Amino acid sequence: MQLFIGGAYAGKRDVVRQRFEAPHWHSAHAGGRLEAWRSLAETRCLVLEGWERWIGERLAAEPDDDRLRQAMARELDALWGWEAERGGEAVLILLEMGRGIVPLGLDNRRLRDLNGWLAQDAAARCERVWYVWNGLVKELSR
Amino acid sequence: MIAFISGGARSGKSTHAEALVRRWQAERGGARYYLATASGGDGEWQARIGRHRQARGEGWITLEEPVDLIAALERVEPGSTLLLDCLTLWASQLLYSSEHASELDEAQGIAMIERLLAEARRRNVALVIVSNDVNEGMPPENAEVWRYLAFLQRVHRLVAQEADEVIQVMAGLPQVWKRRGEERS
Repeated sequence: MQLFIGGAYAGKRDVVRQRFEAPHWHSAHAGGRLEAWRSLAETRCLVLEGWERWIGERLAAEPDDDRLRQAMARELDALWGWEAERGGEAVLILLEMGRGIVPLGLDNRRLRDLNGWLAQDAAARCERVWYVWNGLVKELSR
Repeated sequence: MIAFISGGARSGKSTHAEALVRRWQAERGGARYYLATASGGDGEWQARIGRHRQARGEGWITLEEPVDLIAALERVEPGSTLLLDCLTLWASQLLYSSEHASELDEAQGIAMIERLLAEARRRNVALVIVSNDVNEGMPPENAEVWRYLAFLQRVHRLVAQEADEVIQVMAGLPQVWKRRGEERS
């Protein structure tokens, strides 16, 4: 599993396209639900993007941050299990959104917190973590 | 020679950029130019401009040009070193300035940057471009702010791609992403 993280319009998609051959793109922006990646299990390389949207969709139904964080982490574990079982590769694209002012609205504060925790939980499970900045990419060391 | 230097607010971008300009000027000879994209403004802006000018010290030829970077470049002697500070302000003035008869659009802005980079190389002007990273906080909720962010990031990616040296400054420390053709990773 690999993680690509960077700010809005940092060039994350282009960087991923250059590095992986013909991946299947599973995107929240195209309306895909997170769990639906399981129906793509025959794919060898699976790119998942729009995690901030997948978090946003769950905020109302799960008011407890810890439980929501754990639910997201379970999806990461399931992806990890899929990789091990099927020999595929999961590529996660995450939006960096934690470097601005604390948002006024509760939902935005929760979204920002959960997105940051997700990035930590994803990085802990990924073999390689990449930071995308202004179209350039650099591997983050542990 | 082209360098792109970016980072957060008050991260030390300008200080590092000025040091790089001095180094390049020492190697190349020629004059040292400072192209300020800020002009006029209220008391706070004047104070900011004054603070930067004082920090730079003497020996700079200052040009002020809010939008037309090509016109400014044409005033720079070949063989000189030019510091452009900064792209965030230029981008907002290009898209929203009321001083111009008609605002320019994104495509015209990208074309202007492409031409600036090509002309600087052709005229043997070493160019150090400073900007500010504003895309790593919460995504904006306003559509115009999205438009500005998308445009600024297009400009950043283009300049970072074309530059010989790309530096991200954090807490005053320059992190090298790229130096003279030796791209990392």
